[in-house]
Amino acid sequence: MDWLLALLPHLVNGISLGLLFALIALGFMLIVGVMETINLAHGSLFALGMYAALFLLAPKLGWFPELQAGYMSLPVGTRYAIALFFAPILVGLFGLLLELCLRRTYGKDPLYGLLLTFGAALVIEELIRVTWGSNEQQMALPPTISGAFMMGDLMYSRYRVFASGFAILAIVALWLFLEKTPYGAIIKAGAHDSEMVRALGIHLGRLRSAVFALGVALAAIAGVVMAPIWGIRPHVGVDAVVPAFLIIVLGGVGSLWGAVIAGLLVGLVVGLTGAYASEWSLMSMYLLFIAVVTFRSRGLFGKKSVLDT
Amino acid sequence: MTAAGTSEAGSFGAARSFFMQGLDDMTPPRASLPRRRLLRGTAALAAGFAGPWGLHHAWAQARAKKPLLIGLATDDTGQYAASGQDEQRGMRMAIAEANERGGVLGRRLEVVHADTAGDPAVAAPVAERLIRQQEVAFLMGGVHSGVASAMSKVAQAHGCIYFNTNSSSPTEAGKDCHRTKFVWDGNGTNFSTSVVKGAMTGFGRDWVLITSDYTWGRNTARGIRGIVEGNGGRIVEELVVPQNTPDFSAVLNKVRAIKPGVIATAVGGDDLTLLRRQVRENSMDRGFGWINNQQDWPDVYGLGREALFGIFGTTWYWGLGLAGVPEFVARYQRTQGDYRIKVPGNVFYNGYMATRELLRAIERTASTNNLKLIKELETLRIPALDRMQHHDAYMNPQTHQLQQTIYMAAYNDRPRRSDDLFRILGRLQPHEVEDRASTQQCSLESYAATPSYEP
Repeated sequence: MDWLLALLPHLVNGISLGLLFALIALGFMLIVGVMETINLAHGSLFALGMYAALFLLAPKLGWFPELQAGYMSLPVGTRYAIALFFAPILVGLFGLLLELCLRRTYGKDPLYGLLLTFGAALVIEELIRVTWGSNEQQMALPPTISGAFMMGDLMYSRYRVFASGFAILAIVALWLFLEKTPYGAIIKAGAHDSEMVRALGIHLGRLRSAVFALGVALAAIAGVVMAPIWGIRPHVGVDAVVPAFLIIVLGGVGSLWGAVIAGLLVGLVVGLTGAYASEWSLMSMYLLFIAVVTFRSRGLFGKKSVLDT
Repeated sequence: MTAAGTSEAGSFGAARSFFMQGLDDMTPPRASLPRRRLLRGTAALAAGFAGPWGLHHAWAQARAKKPLLIGLATDDTGQYAASGQDEQRGMRMAIAEANERGGVLGRRLEVVHADTAGDPAVAAPVAERLIRQQEVAFLMGGVHSGVASAMSKVAQAHGCIYFNTNSSSPTEAGKDCHRTKFVWDGNGTNFSTSVVKGAMTGFGRDWVLITSDYTWGRNTARGIRGIVEGNGGRIVEELVVPQNTPDFSAVLNKVRAIKPGVIATAVGGDDLTLLRRQVRENSMDRGFGWINNQQDWPDVYGLGREALFGIFGTTWYWGLGLAGVPEFVARYQRTQGDYRIKVPGNVFYNGYMATRELLRAIERTASTNNLKLIKELETLRIPALDRMQHHDAYMNPQTHQLQQTIYMAAYNDRPRRSDDLFRILGRLQPHEVEDRASTQQCSLESYAATPSYEP
């Protein structure tokens, strides 16, 4: 019984970590699943979300000092809510611009899309560096979700509980959107048979734009949520894109629940090895990946994927 | 340059015509040369030559001689990007000041810079390129110990003097020492020695180590372990974490379960910033003694006092209250106005001081020959006042590490201004924190085995 009690905080931590990994992978999953484009700029867009939120939390409006002072007088909680809502929208709009460039690669060798998004990742990272500098930045948090609380003998970070809860909400909301709305049906149909969707009179170009913007906005949401945990620096996107890629392949390309379960698995494996063999904590997720892909190349819940062709 | 040239030619021409006029006067009755005129002629000649010539001597020489090219191999990107950029600024300021004085040995100083990206695999080819293709006279830089070690091997193979400015792994002046390498920062053992005893008294004898899984982390942790156990303490557990770990929650959970008195970290750069953030997030900054081996100024500047905690070592702080510091800070602020860090820190200081001492050594030896300079640097002593520290510093000739004052510090809860982040708790003399293990492990190549290099 004692060993179970000792294991409990690590299991809880692993699940929490897994939910956050799943949140990071959602946008990546959507774009790969529907558009069959591996968006290597996902990490940079994740970082851009962090910086957009940073700007919305404490804007530096040199020409409008009174406006800035008025905005800054709002409670941190209100500004945080504004950042959480508007930062993904801003980055999603940026995603629309990126999709305009990406259009030229549709129907061509997937390598073109890979190269374009890789280039975009480098450009976005440099833009961030030029605009905000290369130093670490901090995001202010509302007091209600700062610090830690005790549960029995165990101490938990309030923010992680909030972030995990938010991840669950985001996953459920995306599932509801994809499964229970006509827009979700169109998106899924587009992924399944784009010719049929076009024959039904749906503008495929607009559908792709919308999906890409949604995927980018999801990357930005993950960025905003992860900012207080991982910190804000221009190259933080690398920490996001690698697990995101790993999770969607592990879960099966195009499968929402596959990504969620793969995220949870990765979180649990990283959390448990971090506790009992910490030097293996990063390696463990790659070992898990190798183990699964060796026996099931389409991932846990994957059907036909771009990687199979 | 044009204005100076014109002025020099004009003065020289006037003096020459005046002198020729004097010669003309002298020709018929040689004995009748008026003494006053001769004196005036001589004075004009002196003015024509010595005045402008003396004033512009250095520039004229600098124009005539090949510039001295210094290779700055620092991290612009990667885990230590903030420190890499900071030390580069320090080096550049020292070089700019030397150029304002007319260069070194009449040679203008020029700089070539390459990004080592905090990656040893990048650093070795960078050093090779700087030495073989760019033909740099000296190589400087290094925050990541793997980077410093990789570059120093290349430098030694060519005989090029390399200054490791900010990498503080004990191995740098220990088993990885080289005849051509000089180490300017305090090392992990120096810093640990300064803080371990105090922490043991204050927080207890049970320690946990959180160690970054690479050369510096492993060696620093080994140093801490030795000092803790040597003083009657106990390392309950060592938690080794991979570099670039994005999440420390599992490790922190483990620490919480162990309930040690002190947690000593051998984690650097962005990883330390992240660890500290997550410690705060979990409210673990209270109730434990935290020892952060060394705290680099670029990693903490601007983070806000609420995010900073623990006891740590440092080689320098702008608030030391020593003579020369206000002037140094003023020069920094004049030249680094565009920079986010408004007062210099230890990393900038190390970059500046190392470069300044290199240039001084060249002046003293009147040579750029590597062996002459190495011998000069091996006997280096720098007065405390000159280094803006409390005790004289000296180069250990057996390890090539500068032995210097080490300060114990904590975060300042009563700052005089927003930049006043550190509270200096005490200081130790160089011999009190000496890393004796390095002396035993270091085996410098002989002078004969070091290729001659004279740029």
